[in-house]
Amino acid sequence: MKILLPLALLLLATPAQAHKLKLFATVEGPVILGTAYFSGGDKAVGVGGVVRMADGSMAGEVRTDQDGAFRFEVRSRTDHSVTMDGGDGHMATVTIGAAELPQTLPAGPAALPTPPPLPAVAGLDAVEAAVARQIRPLRQQLDAYEDKVRLHDIMGGVGTIFGIFGIAAWVSARRRSPS
Amino acid sequence: MAHIPDGVLSNPVLMAGAVVSVAGVAFGLRGLDPVRVPKVAVLSAVLFVASLVHFPAGLASVHLLLNGLAGIVLGPAVFPAMLVALVLQAVLFGFGGLVALGVNTMDMAVPALLAGGLFRLLWRDGSSRARASLLGAMAGGGAVLLTALMVALTLALSGREFIAAARLVALTHLPVMVIEAAFTAAAIALLSRVKPEMLARPA
Repeated sequence: MKILLPLALLLLATPAQAHKLKLFATVEGPVILGTAYFSGGDKAVGVGGVVRMADGSMAGEVRTDQDGAFRFEVRSRTDHSVTMDGGDGHMATVTIGAAELPQTLPAGPAALPTPPPLPAVAGLDAVEAAVARQIRPLRQQLDAYEDKVRLHDIMGGVGTIFGIFGIAAWVSARRRSPS
Repeated sequence: MAHIPDGVLSNPVLMAGAVVSVAGVAFGLRGLDPVRVPKVAVLSAVLFVASLVHFPAGLASVHLLLNGLAGIVLGPAVFPAMLVALVLQAVLFGFGGLVALGVNTMDMAVPALLAGGLFRLLWRDGSSRARASLLGAMAGGGAVLLTALMVALTLALSGREFIAAARLVALTHLPVMVIEAAFTAAAIALLSRVKPEMLARPA
């Protein structure tokens, strides 16, 4: 009977991935929009982070809200990296390339060689923003999909463990057998 | 949560963790009888899978560690078992950094070794099932608590505020401690009944 309680607890728990902070960010116009979550899908609420530019200088700080979301207004067109730190040893970084930011922004410090500015087209920024908004859920889904733990990964891992220790046993058995 | 990613810890802490883990693995392998290797493999696989089972705990979610159980059954051989499990978790799932492997192995395996040692000190062959359960619960819960404290300590030594980190880590691990104590107690009680030689002092 004693084994029933832990077994029930194990069954109640949804098998998911281990605990790891994940970061997802996209650009809409001059704003970086992102969410932080723990692998398995739980939102990371109230987690602070810093935004750095390509040359390593601080661009600002962000903090996730009730939904684990954060936003950061970009002032210059350069690579931005967002680093979130849960304070308990969880940390994640995501980098937004300069190419994703609107071309109307001034080039930032140590900007990477940016493509020559396109001829000014009226409403280009609006189109870019609309497209970014449209593909955002797709990118998020792709990100989550990539991160999913699949059964064949687990089986592969277990198989590798037995393989490693099998080789170890074989080697030590060979060493002993002549005696 | 002994899955500290790369870039969080400072270099001296990483070095110390690597040294302790290498010494532990060497110690574990030296005293390992080839006959016991399959047992190490099974426990290593258990440790590998344990981290994939999730429990919701407040804002975050946590997973079982099972290092107390592994420490009881394996003794010093818990070091190689833990290292192999953590290497595969890092490579296959990206749980924990490769550079931080030494520290992560240390944070998991040292408490396991201590819990196993304590268990062996108090365990006598033929002890009652209640005693086996109690000792198992102590070892299972204690190992988790010690792991949480070691994670907090390694974070503190890397320049983070100890109290804040310890509170976060320990709070999220309280439910794990309870679940793990219950699980280890049940597992040890079962082992003491059907396979007491698993708990016997390794020769």
